[in-house]
Amino acid sequence: MSINTAKTVTLPADDPGSWPYHSIDDLLAISRHDYEHAQLEAMRFRFARLKTGVEALSRLVDRQGVEDFDSFEAALPLFFDHRVYKSYPLALIETRDFAKLTAWLNRLTTHDLLRIDLTGLRTLDDWLDRLDENGMLIGHSTGTTGKLSMLPRSRTEWPHWEATYNEAMRATTGVDPKTDFVPTFYPGYRGGHHMLAKMLELFNIPAAGGPEHWHTLYQTNVSSDLMSLAGRLQSVEDKSELIEMGLDPALLEAREAMIEQGRRREADMEAWFNKLIEEFRGKRVKLGGSFGDLVRVAQMGNAKGVKPGFAPGSFIMTGGGLKGVKDGPDDWETYVKEFFGIDTVGIVYSMSEIMGAAPRCSHGFYHMPPHTVLILLDPDAKPLPREGVQTGRCAVFDLMAETYWGGFISGDRITIHWDEDCGCGWKGPRIGGEVTRFAEMEGGDDKITCAGSQAAYNEFMNYVMQV
Amino acid sequence: MSRTYDIPIVSRGRIMHPQGDDAVEFGGRAGARFRAPDPHKHIGDLVLGDPTRLRDLHEMPVREIIAFLAALGPKLALDRNPHMREAFDLAVEAGGLTPPVLRSVFDALPGLFDAAYLEALADRTVGIAHLNGWVPQGEGPMARFRVRAVGTRQLHITAGNVPVVAALTVIRSALTKSDCLIKLPSNDPLTANAIARTMIDLDPNHPLTRHLAVAYWKGGDEMMEQAICRTTRIDKITAWGGMSSVRHIQKFLSPGIDQIALNPKLSMSMIGREALEDAPAMKAAAAGIAVAAGRMNQTACVNTRVVYVESETDDASIDKVIALGKEIHAAFQALPEGISTPAPRPNRDLEAELQALDLEEELYWVKGDTIRGGVIVSRYSERVDFHADLNNRVVNLVPMPDLSKALRWCDDSTQTVGIYPERLREEYRDALALAGVQHIIALQPSAATASDDGTEFPGMPHDGIEPMRRMVRWVIDEAPEEIAVSLAAE
Repeated sequence: MSINTAKTVTLPADDPGSWPYHSIDDLLAISRHDYEHAQLEAMRFRFARLKTGVEALSRLVDRQGVEDFDSFEAALPLFFDHRVYKSYPLALIETRDFAKLTAWLNRLTTHDLLRIDLTGLRTLDDWLDRLDENGMLIGHSTGTTGKLSMLPRSRTEWPHWEATYNEAMRATTGVDPKTDFVPTFYPGYRGGHHMLAKMLELFNIPAAGGPEHWHTLYQTNVSSDLMSLAGRLQSVEDKSELIEMGLDPALLEAREAMIEQGRRREADMEAWFNKLIEEFRGKRVKLGGSFGDLVRVAQMGNAKGVKPGFAPGSFIMTGGGLKGVKDGPDDWETYVKEFFGIDTVGIVYSMSEIMGAAPRCSHGFYHMPPHTVLILLDPDAKPLPREGVQTGRCAVFDLMAETYWGGFISGDRITIHWDEDCGCGWKGPRIGGEVTRFAEMEGGDDKITCAGSQAAYNEFMNYVMQV
Repeated sequence: MSRTYDIPIVSRGRIMHPQGDDAVEFGGRAGARFRAPDPHKHIGDLVLGDPTRLRDLHEMPVREIIAFLAALGPKLALDRNPHMREAFDLAVEAGGLTPPVLRSVFDALPGLFDAAYLEALADRTVGIAHLNGWVPQGEGPMARFRVRAVGTRQLHITAGNVPVVAALTVIRSALTKSDCLIKLPSNDPLTANAIARTMIDLDPNHPLTRHLAVAYWKGGDEMMEQAICRTTRIDKITAWGGMSSVRHIQKFLSPGIDQIALNPKLSMSMIGREALEDAPAMKAAAAGIAVAAGRMNQTACVNTRVVYVESETDDASIDKVIALGKEIHAAFQALPEGISTPAPRPNRDLEAELQALDLEEELYWVKGDTIRGGVIVSRYSERVDFHADLNNRVVNLVPMPDLSKALRWCDDSTQTVGIYPERLREEYRDALALAGVQHIIALQPSAATASDDGTEFPGMPHDGIEPMRRMVRWVIDEAPEEIAVSLAAE
């Protein structure tokens, strides 16, 4: 089955991979009531093809005894908890047991990873490189314990991912990254396998017009080895233990260097930005970085009387919180716009686990296109009504995932406005307000028990997370 | 469903109820609401500005202190004491422990006030002679060196997961002849309160009653803690559990204020290969683990969460570890209800962790749930990364070809290590102690009656320290030589 709209957008349930190739304006012109049935049928289509090919899903089907579903709610028992993507033992990384790590990942994808030659691999980055050379596009996020979630995305999904992301960027900035190339600044790493770094690299280099127009604060990639072992390295004070673990002592030095780099980051960022401000005076640019970074640069610039003068049509693409910013302005956006002399600020809402991205509209909401199914859950993991304004844990189904299971329950707490009455004119469920991680909401209360572990304060991760 | 509980300030023999302007509301566990007097208005009631006002307790013989406490104990029996009953009801509502388990925990409280036990506790820790007077430290001319243990002004930031903490705090400060201010935890704001009110019922003018204050304020309330934690007002701070509460309070530590930190702890067990060799040994080890993990429904620091099992990691060996896991799961179901019960409600986060691992059958074996209890067998020599959050009677069995490698996971936050069989004691006792472990116990079903911290034998160290010895001030009275001679001649 499929639906047809007045604008002749066709969303065939047996080909959800075709959905992201429509213009996002057309996709957001359709009411969700006109495509939710097609979404459900498309989920069933994916399920029928993946339930035997993705071993972990087969196991879940057996455990839950659910062979089919006729509603979003009935499909929920088959969604992966976000923990599924990091259920490997950390020892596999510490001992660099890439065969077992590959076998673990193999259970999450239809690709046959066991055929990949693993000889000569020394580091986690090597392993991720090797997987990518063999058709995968693995991105990892950061766990609170430093354990990385690995998303088994592949080149099969890449065209969909590229199409949907570029359209979301165009929708929120008005600049088409496929045709209008703009030199880009980003106060972080050049790339890497961390999902955010990977996306920046994948999408920004072409949009900037080539690597020579992708200006980053650091000239290296973020190290997945250091991120994954941060917790362990923190506790390894004695180098003999490192050697016993079989780790390269150079890792410890790399870690020290990274911490040092992190300490200097603010000053480095200021110098780097100021240089670019001069170099690109009168030119059209795109600025990246977190809200916090941009506010800091503006604060430092204002203090020193720096006046950027970029050409009209310059724009900012940002995201992330104001963590670490002291005395941040209430209206950070106006503050940043005024300092840089730039009117356009684009933001999209997404998560590492999905390819879909919701562009921010002129009214400050994030509208999710039909290729990503959103379901909000109450504290008992039951779906909240799809009406009015609801806040809860976000479950998603990424219909663009062809070689891995797209159903997953996140750790994000979001607010969705289900009534399609946004003043911007776009339809579809829209996300508003603050996004918080459930993990961040826990703790900080006044309950005291004698059980618990010394929460290892991990200075290192604080710096690394400034990617 | 939940009611609002009044948490009065009990201070030096007086009870101050929240009323009118002098009332603040705060949320507790599981939706319960509390109402307490505004603590900011009562700082003067809570602290003892002049330490010489401890004179009354200072001069009271330990025997009289014990007599008062021994009279207090029986009055704390749940069936006879409405204040304790209210504390019990609230604990049931908060839902950390089930009624049968709570019942046995509350029923054990009066026993802590047994006179013979208290006498041994005072004598084996500080020493009754040192509490009662100036004790000569040597013979002959050396007798001129005399030492006395003197009471202090103490702030206790208590943990609320078990009510025994409140009783232990009252006992320790009383036996050290100290002035005691208890900051109530939001997860048990009533037990210490109930004990203090029962003391008033017994004798509102007794020096012990006059040197006890109990109040709630929100942990991290800077204004409160800054006003209280001054060298002119407090000598010693005992901080139980709660890393954030310990952190908050450390901000106010200055030279002159001594911190007795009973940090958050976790516990584990080690099981030798013997347990996998025959059925009786496996059953015995499983029963021991069930008690070590299940007692008080795995809410306390003493509870085992991870079990290191001496085993290879090949399939045949892991099958034996799984067999042990099945025995442990069965043993959880067989625990008497006063020791442990199924959980009143599932733990959703932990449930999700279990389900995620269950999909990885090549890396883990998972049985059970967060209601009846569960077992995760790692097929690899590594504990699960959420080991600190294991709760609701869920344990993680980790195969260790070389059991000594488990020491890698031991540090000062590892409180108790259960062992089976006894062979391991000789082998690992010293290594565990050096690594930071504070208590080594035998895994056996009879351990069900053992207490948290070795208090079944009076005056055992607690979390690696001797809190009562640290709660007093050790004062030297050094006489000149000639007087010492004449004293010695008497």
